[in-house]
Amino acid sequence: MKDLFEEQVENLSEAHFLVLYWAAQGEGRQAKYNITNCFDDLKHCGITRTKQTAVAAVEALSALRFVTLRGEGNRRNLYISRHGARALEALVLRQKFTPRSSAYLEGL
Amino acid sequence: MVIGIGGAGSKVAAKLDAQATLINVSETELEKIPQAGRRILAVVHAEHGRFRGSRKNPSIGHDAYLSVRRELQELARGGMVFSSTGGGTGNGITTGLLQDLAARETIPESEKTSFGLVLPYAPLEPAEFVRNTIDFLRGPLSEAIDSGNTGNIFLFSNRVKFESRLSEEAFNIKMVESLKVFLAIPDKNDTLRLLDGHIDPEDFSLFMARPYFNHFTYFDYDPGTPFGKQLEANTNALLLPPETPIEALFLIEVPAGGDPTVFYDVLQHFNDLNVAPIYSVVENPELKQPFITVGLLYSRKPAELLDDFNKRNEQHAQVKVRKSLEQYVDLPRLDVSLEKEAKRAAKQRGSDEDILQVLKRLGKL
Repeated sequence: MKDLFEEQVENLSEAHFLVLYWAAQGEGRQAKYNITNCFDDLKHCGITRTKQTAVAAVEALSALRFVTLRGEGNRRNLYISRHGARALEALVLRQKFTPRSSAYLEGL
Repeated sequence: MVIGIGGAGSKVAAKLDAQATLINVSETELEKIPQAGRRILAVVHAEHGRFRGSRKNPSIGHDAYLSVRRELQELARGGMVFSSTGGGTGNGITTGLLQDLAARETIPESEKTSFGLVLPYAPLEPAEFVRNTIDFLRGPLSEAIDSGNTGNIFLFSNRVKFESRLSEEAFNIKMVESLKVFLAIPDKNDTLRLLDGHIDPEDFSLFMARPYFNHFTYFDYDPGTPFGKQLEANTNALLLPPETPIEALFLIEVPAGGDPTVFYDVLQHFNDLNVAPIYSVVENPELKQPFITVGLLYSRKPAELLDDFNKRNEQHAQVKVRKSLEQYVDLPRLDVSLEKEAKRAAKQRGSDEDILQVLKRLGKL
């Protein structure tokens, strides 16, 4: 199982990393971070121009149980899971990607 | 014909040839040099120039060029001109000469002028010298090289003078003695017993008429060590270091009964660089071991040459600004750690909290 987790983390892309990072940051500030914010931020960073890609990244993280999607009101908010936290920790320690700031969270 | 322009150029020219023609804007400076074939006073319109020289200002020298233009062009035909690039007279008059040469359609090989230019040692010489040299290299020299209308250009550097703390006289003698070794090649070829190849005076003057920079050097040649290594270890410290040669010339002198085939290694070295050198091997009974004199022609772009001087010029400017700040402006000393400041500002914004700390705080790690 440990090998599988390693492999999953190894295959995460920058978009996945940033989503995990912003979800954790949002949660740390008790701000709700939803899929639309996530799309806006990814677009702002120049990583994607389509909402489908942003949704695909979030769906993948959700399928891997790295984030939990909760429908709250008419929004689907992202919460990082314990597995997601470990995955993010591994990525941060490897310094594979550079964190970027979320326009949504910075603007709060 | 050897011509010396300006203070520094005149001193070198007079050492190389007692019959040299010396040109200066200052009568006093002209008279300071004891031996000379002819002294020409270049006239500056401003009265004071006559006794005060160009005061490191090349535009004064350039003005004065107009008064000696025709005569100098005639004298320089097929000759060798010495000048420094830092001062006013040498730089200014040589600039005029180079510009005129560059403007001509073509110049026959036999009429090309070689130049011996003395460059300042940037770390220790005045900032004006460095600036004048930059303008000189960037403008007239580079135009003249592009035109192909000059002969060899020898770029001497004052580095050894300053590093070895030599007197100007001693340094000039060193420079001239060194140049004499190179210029003696055709004579040696004529007077000593020829063993292989040959460099007659015509070959040598053709080589001198090529419009490239010349780096010459000489040393005791050890046939047991690769020539490339020996050459690298024995570059001429009085000249700027050479680039990959385009053309080459060498003379090997072997002792009486010495091996006359030692030159094949040298030939091979140049062949590997795609250079077919002119060469000659002679027997010199006064020697104990082979001695080689090499001339390398290279075409280093003045832009690259400028780089070193530009860097130094910038440093000079920075030091000047700092010094005047220290002298005239009272600034309180603030010990600011930019890293700490950035962290503090980020913390205020709340963006810097380590993401791993956040996850721990949330109980997810």
